[in-house]
Amino acid sequence: MSASSQTFSALLPGDVSDDSSKRALLAEIDASCRVPVLFFVISGLLWLLAGTALALVASIKLHSPGFLASWEFLTFGRVRPAHLNTVIYGFASQTGIGVTLWLMCRLCRVPFVAPGLATVAAIFWNIGLTVGVVGILIGDSTSIEWLELPRYCTPILFFSYALVAVWAIITFRLRREQHLYVSQWYLLAAILWFPWLYATAQIMLLIEPVRGVVQAAVNWWFAHNVLGLWFTPIGLASIYYFIPKVIGRPIHSYYLSVLGFWSLALFYNWNGLHHLIGGPMPAWMITVSIVASVMMLIPVTTVAINHHMTMWGHFGKLKHSPTLRFVVVGALCYTATSLQGIANSLRSYSEVVHFTHHTIAHAHLGLYGFFAMVMFGSLYYIIPRITQREWPSLGLISLHFWACFLGLALYVVPLSLGGILQGLAMNDASVPFLKVVEGTLPWLKLRTFAGLLLGLGHVAFVGNLVWLLARVFGPYRKPVVAILMGAETAAVVGK
Amino acid sequence: MNVLAILMIGGVLAVPGVALVALRWASHRGELNLPERAALLPFDEEEPVGRATDQILNRQSAES
Amino acid sequence: MKYGPLLFLGILFTLASSWVGLVLAPKQQLGGLVPNVSTNALGAVVLYPQARKGEAQQGEEHYRSLGCVYCHSQQVRPEGFGSDITRGWGKRRTVSRDYLYDKPVMLGTSRTGPDLTNIGERQSDSGWHFAHLYNPQITSKGSVMPPYPFLFQLRKIGPGGASTNALKLSGEFAVAEGWEVVPKDSARQLVEYLRSLKTSVDLPEAPLPKVQEGAAK
Repeated sequence: MSASSQTFSALLPGDVSDDSSKRALLAEIDASCRVPVLFFVISGLLWLLAGTALALVASIKLHSPGFLASWEFLTFGRVRPAHLNTVIYGFASQTGIGVTLWLMCRLCRVPFVAPGLATVAAIFWNIGLTVGVVGILIGDSTSIEWLELPRYCTPILFFSYALVAVWAIITFRLRREQHLYVSQWYLLAAILWFPWLYATAQIMLLIEPVRGVVQAAVNWWFAHNVLGLWFTPIGLASIYYFIPKVIGRPIHSYYLSVLGFWSLALFYNWNGLHHLIGGPMPAWMITVSIVASVMMLIPVTTVAINHHMTMWGHFGKLKHSPTLRFVVVGALCYTATSLQGIANSLRSYSEVVHFTHHTIAHAHLGLYGFFAMVMFGSLYYIIPRITQREWPSLGLISLHFWACFLGLALYVVPLSLGGILQGLAMNDASVPFLKVVEGTLPWLKLRTFAGLLLGLGHVAFVGNLVWLLARVFGPYRKPVVAILMGAETAAVVGK
Repeated sequence: MNVLAILMIGGVLAVPGVALVALRWASHRGELNLPERAALLPFDEEEPVGRATDQILNRQSAES
Repeated sequence: MKYGPLLFLGILFTLASSWVGLVLAPKQQLGGLVPNVSTNALGAVVLYPQARKGEAQQGEEHYRSLGCVYCHSQQVRPEGFGSDITRGWGKRRTVSRDYLYDKPVMLGTSRTGPDLTNIGERQSDSGWHFAHLYNPQITSKGSVMPPYPFLFQLRKIGPGGASTNALKLSGEFAVAEGWEVVPKDSARQLVEYLRSLKTSVDLPEAPLPKVQEGAAK
């Protein structure tokens, strides 16, 4: 008790106690993160561009099947998994790891430990993934959703991942701030959950495949948990850090965040088998997943209320902070996609939407609307601090935001609706199947347009980053200035 | 009854059991007394509560 | 309030619970499933399902490699749940046992195209399948399925005349005079696999509808 009150006093503005003098300064921590974090982030963004290109090809093929049809390696059934795996394991995971590394250092109050270890991990991750994506395109896809990367590359990814986990545990052990913030719980959980998931799925599906539909159970336990126990915790950790940090106000209720964390940990990992509603599985497996999906109302509403109450009265700051814009949109999408997901898991709703494009829209609302947007926001905060350079173009930031925001809305809303109509038509046996297909075409074309907007946003973002990096490595040596952190901090930075 | 079944039944009994022991231990050590002030952890003397950061867009008086 | 060990245990136990419940338990319940044994009209013992052999087995590899699963499901939902049965995609719902030998199990999550659980029964004509794979517009105008020209060979008709397995193409799909389109091994194997997809077998846990006469019991 006495120890905690002592640390608390160190947290009060202006107070410099023994404890705080041992903790590294923010600028020192940020600078130490530069190489490994940038390595993960830049590779992640390059995979994002590749993934966007593959997505556009796949999207166009779905309404114009003759497009690029003569090349076997670009057939829809290969481009689609190649897209999924580049954005999941290339963009989302690597950017997520980059953000995780930085958040861990900042919250543990230690300069980056063993940057070499993390950089080696990033190099192997990219080698493994490149081999795997080429493998999918030349026909070695496993056709197991979310686990398409062929067997010969997944051990490389696992090894590289293990290095990241080792790094995180070392950092955690060496932390100079003994108390844990809610973001750290989520990060630590993600880091420990993922290897378990990935190892189970690799062993039971790729290395020594189980027989029959047990594969489907393992597959969806894994696939849904990659979302729920890997991306979601990293995304929520970022939201819990950046909203308070940007607006300068602590999270509304710390108790609610505890409830949110533990209810997510309890329920999310049981959700996966709702992907098999109506399928050839014993009913109890599916029912238990539906129950757990509905229980997700607890963490979702808890987190939504907590974030909203924190933002209350500070919405004006959205105008000024790119980080806040992206992160708040991401937080709203988290609520929306979770509620949509709960609805999708109900038998009566699933009967209509299960096999339709509705599911695709839902997945993008979650992975893009929530996770990618939160990552973009985080990067807008992190990169200037670790490189000590401002964003060169504020216009490109706005372009990035609005292109992604509009693209996202045009992607998710119409395709969700189109999916419902598709499902209703499909469940009416008097409608010929080709009529059902015809009915989806307008939505699919709109989706391609939305994808182009998202692509434009990505190019704007990467362009801005390249420009910024040119200033880091080029002759331009203007250091970070007042505008970066708000004018009132100029004195602190300039000391 | 094969090994897997025994493992599962053992697991079903062991998991909540260990969880209860852990909770009891933690509550004795006072680890469950979560103070609201843990919410202050992202802030420090460098960037205290009340100071907004990242306010870079749409600023009229932006100067370097 | 350091919370570390408690957090660590909590993280471990929460995932362990669903690992036991959704991974080990299904393996326990379904891992030991065996084929159904019945006798046919002649008194011979019939096992269902049976492992695929030869071309059908090779065709399954192409089905996996080409990613057919992203648009075609292989599961029939129960009567009254969706229109799977009324659309004729199967006579009965599919059950765990139907998938005993599938490598991998490709249930699918999307029906951009129709369900293929029983495509071997619904369309047993290889010629239809070849034409459909070569260009879906030949058999299904308005389909969004991509054509698979790379599974076929465009070649000059030899001195012995047109091959017996050449595709019969006419109208807008016709190739130049003196040329023919023949399926490669891959196309043949894929079609054999598709023709092997059929589940209309009476099972104790999923009987065929009574009106279906001649179902072996």
